[in-house]
Amino acid sequence: MGISRKAFEEQVLALVGSLNGVARRLTANPADAEDLVAETVARAWRALDSLKSEAAFRAWIFSILHNTFVSELRRAGARPRLVSVECDEAEEEEVQFSIFEQMHQPFLLWFSNPEQAFLDKLLREDLDRALASLPEHHRVVVVLSDLEELSYGEIAEALGIPVGTVRSRLARARGALQKILWRQAREYGLNAAAPASRQGDEGGTDAPREAAAGAIVRKEKGSVR
Amino acid sequence: MTKREIECEQALRQIFEYIDHELDDTERAAMEHHLHTCHSCYSRAQFERRLKAKLGELKSDDADPTVRGRIKGLLDSF
Repeated sequence: MGISRKAFEEQVLALVGSLNGVARRLTANPADAEDLVAETVARAWRALDSLKSEAAFRAWIFSILHNTFVSELRRAGARPRLVSVECDEAEEEEVQFSIFEQMHQPFLLWFSNPEQAFLDKLLREDLDRALASLPEHHRVVVVLSDLEELSYGEIAEALGIPVGTVRSRLARARGALQKILWRQAREYGLNAAAPASRQGDEGGTDAPREAAAGAIVRKEKGSVR
Repeated sequence: MTKREIECEQALRQIFEYIDHELDDTERAAMEHHLHTCHSCYSRAQFERRLKAKLGELKSDDADPTVRGRIKGLLDSF
């Protein structure tokens, strides 16, 4: 079908910030991100006939961006981790991880919300670092869903995977992200709140977790952030 | 297993679809009914929604002027 040249230009210019943002999350390098966006737009222009409708533009161009990223990585000799559904199943443990479940204590509901206090103390750089630590196949679904607010259907279209896979991969990615945030928090002394551990192997204390969470400080700064 | 546990298990399984607005009307109504009656699941939903919102704040809408200029130039060349 395609769209007019004018409509193409308008759509691209409206999305260039988003495209560049996603490209930066994928490449972790501003110069590479800029090249990726330019190559994406050039490929999109050449493939305009494959666009089914103007409403599908966003998912369509993100699909080109992602495919371009993967093919550029291959050309560079890197091996992006191309994940199959079967491989995803092996990550079941991560989907189980939840900061909320680590911190929430029903019997203390009326006195404090340690898990909410944890969120209050999270800084942009904490989230940036955790997101950058995720493997690419997890990072991209979180970025498309939580930063770009694409629907599961659009993400499926953009990544060329079934909607059911988007659903399960996003759940695993969020579990993995929370696990990283939890680990970072422990490293920074954010949460002595880390449980006297449910697994019993984390060296936590028996002190109430909510009390620890209430004293969220960064050890290296010695001040509340 | 009590009825409540089954309801919580279902609610937790759908919690991300709920905060992502991916449930259909019937599923959404059932979820909201459960959240009105279960403080723990309600708190979990609030936590996941807030974390999602914090991640959303990482988005930057404005492309670097250099990138925008390069893309405008590219569009002009088509």
